[in-house]
Amino acid sequence: MKLPVICPEKECCCGKKGCTPGEGLPKIILIGNPNVGKSSLFNALSGSYTLVSNYPGTSVEIAHGKARIGEREYEIIDTPGMYSLLPVSEEERVSQLLLFEEKPLVYLHVVDARNLRRMLSFTLQLLEAGLPLILVLNMMDEAEERRIEIDISELSQSLGIPVVGTVSSEEKGIDELKAAISEYTSRNNTQKFRQKLDYGTEIEPYIETIESLLGPAKEVGISKRAISLLLLQEDQTALEYLCKAEKKPECGREDLEKSSEEIRKLAEAASKKSEVPLSYLLTLKRQECVNGIVGQVMTMPEGTEKNSGKAGKIGTEAEKGTEKEENYTCAAQEKTKSGPAKNRAGKIEERKKQKGNIDLSEKIDNILIHPVLGIPVLFLVLYFGLYLFVGVFAAGTVVDFLENTVFGGYVNPLVTAKFMSLVPYPALQDLFVGEYGIFTQAVTYAIALILPIVGAFFLVFSIIEDTGYLPRLSLLLDGMFKKIGLSGRAVIPMVLGFGCSTMATVVTRTLETKRERIIANILLALAIPCSAQLGIILSILSGNPESLLIWSIVIILEFILIGFLASRVLPGEAPTFILEMPPLRKPKLSNILVKTYSRMHWYFLEVLPLFVLASVLIWIGKLTGLFALALKIIEYPTVWIGLPPDAADVFLFGFFRRDFGAAGLYGMHDSGLLTGVQLLVAAITLTLFMPCIAQFMMTIKERGFKTALAISGFIFPFAFFTGFIVNNLLKLLGVNL
Amino acid sequence: MVNKNSRLALKTITLCAMEPKKTGKIDHLETKNPGILQKLIAMGILPGMPITLLRRSPSYLFEVDQTRYAVDREIANHIYVSY
Ligand SMILES: Nc1nc2c(ncn2[C@@H]2O[C@H](COP(=O)(O)OP(=O)(O)OP(=O)(O)O)[C@@H](O)[C@H]2O)c(=O)[nH]1
Ligand SMILES: [Mg+2]
Repeated sequence: MKLPVICPEKECCCGKKGCTPGEGLPKIILIGNPNVGKSSLFNALSGSYTLVSNYPGTSVEIAHGKARIGEREYEIIDTPGMYSLLPVSEEERVSQLLLFEEKPLVYLHVVDARNLRRMLSFTLQLLEAGLPLILVLNMMDEAEERRIEIDISELSQSLGIPVVGTVSSEEKGIDELKAAISEYTSRNNTQKFRQKLDYGTEIEPYIETIESLLGPAKEVGISKRAISLLLLQEDQTALEYLCKAEKKPECGREDLEKSSEEIRKLAEAASKKSEVPLSYLLTLKRQECVNGIVGQVMTMPEGTEKNSGKAGKIGTEAEKGTEKEENYTCAAQEKTKSGPAKNRAGKIEERKKQKGNIDLSEKIDNILIHPVLGIPVLFLVLYFGLYLFVGVFAAGTVVDFLENTVFGGYVNPLVTAKFMSLVPYPALQDLFVGEYGIFTQAVTYAIALILPIVGAFFLVFSIIEDTGYLPRLSLLLDGMFKKIGLSGRAVIPMVLGFGCSTMATVVTRTLETKRERIIANILLALAIPCSAQLGIILSILSGNPESLLIWSIVIILEFILIGFLASRVLPGEAPTFILEMPPLRKPKLSNILVKTYSRMHWYFLEVLPLFVLASVLIWIGKLTGLFALALKIIEYPTVWIGLPPDAADVFLFGFFRRDFGAAGLYGMHDSGLLTGVQLLVAAITLTLFMPCIAQFMMTIKERGFKTALAISGFIFPFAFFTGFIVNNLLKLLGVNL
Repeated sequence: MVNKNSRLALKTITLCAMEPKKTGKIDHLETKNPGILQKLIAMGILPGMPITLLRRSPSYLFEVDQTRYAVDREIANHIYVSY
């Protein structure tokens, strides 16, 4: 799956495979830590849209766009966030490989201005790698709010590269950035850092030796010194990449193995000598250099200074006389120093407001992650956001109106009548406007049923994402998730799975171990219903609270049970949890709307062809008699779990997509064909089905064919088995719903 | 340094043992697992940085310089703080 980058001017191929707008133009690549605003900047520069949310690990794939700056056009590339050149998780590896392969005009290293001290180390690594670089200090507004001042021109001078301050979410400073890009001419900026960043006599000789070993190796995008450092830290990706790149005939496999063996020995020797892992040592060295620079260019308000004992608290009366003006200028421009004193009163007023804002968000934050208060808040979010808005309003009221009034009452009869009179062939009439017809079923389901529900869900979900609630939920649920072999990080793909399992399956990349990724994948495929299906089920069962309760309990138990078993069965270490906690942010309406639209757009394109295909297949099946045969086969498990044989087509639809099955169930419920218990059992079975073919394909892509097959081979029988158990239990207990 | 004069030496304890709302300085990181170590240092959790523990439950939440991090007990046990 690839979410479409919505391109301007209708030039885009809407996220189709191989869609690379701007290919062949000079490249600009955005890199930097997670959640610093790379994608926001991408959107601001290119006029396209790629997902922006307030948590680390939003982008897990590379996005391409086109930008026009001045007279020239550029290809602009957004990457998943990475913490350093040495990757730890999969999505970081995606970015690292890109660095090896590409030779762009310039890289924009995006950092969060407030966290310059932490992020500048990566800038040094990039310089060390000899990459053409512009440093973008994003989130200047938040730095300002906390009264952090950065001397941009001095920073630019000491790094030897252009530095620009921006607020990408508000498109401030973008013009300056564009100017800096236009003016950018690649110069050799590595030299400067060769002297500054000396790793000391203990390590430098090793670097040199490896560099000389790399002699015949093919040129890669980054400098030999940087590659040597990576190799010295035993980075697998770098090693593998070099092996692949080296295809020269005269440099055979043996040579390669010999040199990689040699490198490994060197790395071992070096780390033995230093007694701590080399990456640790190297990072500390770099940080020393960073501290030197930061000390010169960055001033923090008193009270947040190091060692003051009150980090994070801002002194109220620390107003300084030499306040700088808002200063989003690029390095080349004149710096406006010491702003006029006349606005001082206004400024103090503003400071108070900013401090108030920070205090308020602090208070809210404390409730969200409170071990006791956090849980009721979660239930409130679920109740209002999911149940009331998605389940009752969208899947109930809106769908009822669209399905029964608009489509059932006007559109479908009209289209059917028109079609019948225009096309007199019964076979074709059946294909387009019959019971399972392309128009009367596929299009109607997609527009009247799926779209409003999915839209409502994604709307709520976007708001939740943009506030920064998801990482807080991770923190809250980490302890519980550990019991099923997952860390709190997995909360994010799981919640995303309620929107669409296919999207969520890609996002499992952000999990650190293979074991976690597989468990998450199984649970996504099995126990997390996607929004369309969930909405329909909520709406069908909402008339009967007990059914809804039993359904939730069964699904939750299943989630826990399978997670628990999987964590027992699968080999590997227990997961650990580290997550950066972004500040709570006010969601921006424009971002929420575009994001919701872009996801709906993608979802619609994803479901409609499949629904149409299903209609066509059923039509062919009916003509050839195969449809009846398939129904006959599925009747067995259907009857087995206590449903009438008629319900078989619901499950047949379910094999295409489980939301399609749910839509079928909606139809049966509408015509009152099922009892309460039957409805419940059908809903449970269908919830546990594989999500859809797209999700299956994605699982193959991310986990491999065997794993994907094993997962689906387990899920279908297991879904029916659970239905069987629930049905018989209910019967045994004499429950009537 | 907060305790420089009142004590002979600084206390060095793990983040787990630290009291909430106290600020100290990261002394060192200790872990056998290179992946965890790599992650911590890449994320900017480095010796010498000031650190404030904000909460211990449901998970550990702390602030280093300007950034907040959530970690589990396992990881918190690897971070040694002096104050
Ligand atoms: N206040 C403020 N918020 C910003 C700014 N730029 C981006 N944001 C917000 O920061 C969050 C992260 O932005 P993204 O663009 O998704 O960050 P990213 O770097 O692409 O993140 P990953 O894809 O996870 O690596 C979003 O909530 C943005 O709205 C800025 O300049 N100021
Ligand atoms: Mg992004």
